[in-house]
Amino acid sequence: MSTQDKIKILYIDDEQNNLVGFKATFRFDYTVFIAVDIDQAYEHLKKNPDISVILCDQRMPDKTGVQFYEEMREEYPDPIRMLITGYADIESVIDAVNRGHIFRYIKKPWTDTDVKSAIEEANKFYITNSMLSAKNVELQSAYDELGKFAYSVTHDLRGPLLSVIGALDLAKTMDDIDEIKEILGMMDSAVRKLDEFITNTHEYYNLKRGKLVFEQIDFNDIISDTTAIFRIAGRMDSVKFTAHVVQNDVFLSDEISIKIILNNLLSNAFKFQRKKASDKFVDVNIEVKDDNAIILVKDNGIGIQENHINNIFTMFYRATSEETGSGFGLYNVKDALNKLNGTVEVDSVFNEGTTFKVIIPGKGNGTN
Amino acid sequence: MVQTSNLHFIVIDDSKLDCFIAEKIIRNSGGIDSIKSFLQAKEALQYIATARPEDVAHTIVMVDIQMPVMNGFEFVEAFEKFSPEIKKNYTLYVISSSINDNDLNRVQNYSSVKQFINKPLTNNSLIQLLENPI
Repeated sequence: MSTQDKIKILYIDDEQNNLVGFKATFRFDYTVFIAVDIDQAYEHLKKNPDISVILCDQRMPDKTGVQFYEEMREEYPDPIRMLITGYADIESVIDAVNRGHIFRYIKKPWTDTDVKSAIEEANKFYITNSMLSAKNVELQSAYDELGKFAYSVTHDLRGPLLSVIGALDLAKTMDDIDEIKEILGMMDSAVRKLDEFITNTHEYYNLKRGKLVFEQIDFNDIISDTTAIFRIAGRMDSVKFTAHVVQNDVFLSDEISIKIILNNLLSNAFKFQRKKASDKFVDVNIEVKDDNAIILVKDNGIGIQENHINNIFTMFYRATSEETGSGFGLYNVKDALNKLNGTVEVDSVFNEGTTFKVIIPGKGNGTN
Repeated sequence: MVQTSNLHFIVIDDSKLDCFIAEKIIRNSGGIDSIKSFLQAKEALQYIATARPEDVAHTIVMVDIQMPVMNGFEFVEAFEKFSPEIKKNYTLYVISSSINDNDLNRVQNYSSVKQFINKPLTNNSLIQLLENPI
């Protein structure tokens, strides 16, 4: 067992001999911290937030073990507390156990086996508790997301639908074919917006629920796959697109996540162009080096205003009303990067353009 | 057809289609002096801040709730800070696809908002509005 996996325990006793004896007995099985008084105990707790079990002698000069536990558990509620005591203190022990301060007590003189089994039990309890609180945190964030979802569904799904319903009603009263065609064009973009939202939702759930599948990534293939979709949709018209890939080594990563990242960054780059500019460009630069993929996506589009930059990765946040957007794209980029242990930086000048720099470590390089 | 003299309209919605629908329906109802639509609430605020009173008395404003950059609520709050001389020329309506209780309750708390209208705007809902627009 490595030091990392060993159970961390803290033993507090005002008698130095007991401390030394305890550490000598248990140091092979556990990582043992010892404290001769309460101040020392607090120091250990502060430096080692992952101490899972505490054993404390009941009779100490300035405070009893029960008093110490009552006081410390406000700040350090997680470690499992056990008391070591002789029979004479049994009243206060029963009281403390009943009041929920103490998991178990060990009577003096203790045997190695007693202490060991108590520590193992306490640690199991600790692990169960921490798993429970981790689950609770997960559950809370799932609830919060569900709330956001329910709200956004009204706007992002219902909004375009109602627009189309309104447009249909209107079109029924029209006779002029050009006018009808105009309204058809707008209905088309409303329906596409709806479709984009659904695709993004699908990506979101793929990222949340899906497991990473590591395979060899060929960035040239990924670029041509991704841009093919844009080309068919006519979104690359009048935008000069350049891609430059330097990949000499095998790169292992999750293809779906990487496609989501590139697809969203490129989609934004093509979408948020300055309409009147004549020199529109989107440039992608990918380099695989030392098992890192460094991706630069650069455009000379509308840019992002400084006061919005910190929020662009927030779910449903939209920094502009130019063009349609679900407020989902960059959130999904960030989410995918979190899974891959990657990072993203943004450099943007309003009305001049934006560069996203993404670094993704390969599988051998620290991805979860 | 409802007779409406000297009535101007401002539509604020980030959806081009919704602006288009509103413009058509308002125009079809006849007797309207002018319609302006804004895709961004900030631009509408600027217009209101600088418009000459004789050009805007009286104006019906229809504002969407969920919009990027400045949403409908932020617009209403900013509008309420204008002087009474400016405000008296406008009547605010909130128009939205929202069925969220919080949104609906919040609309009721703004004294400057006359009514909440469900999207999409239809001939019928506009006729009702025009019976007592101000």
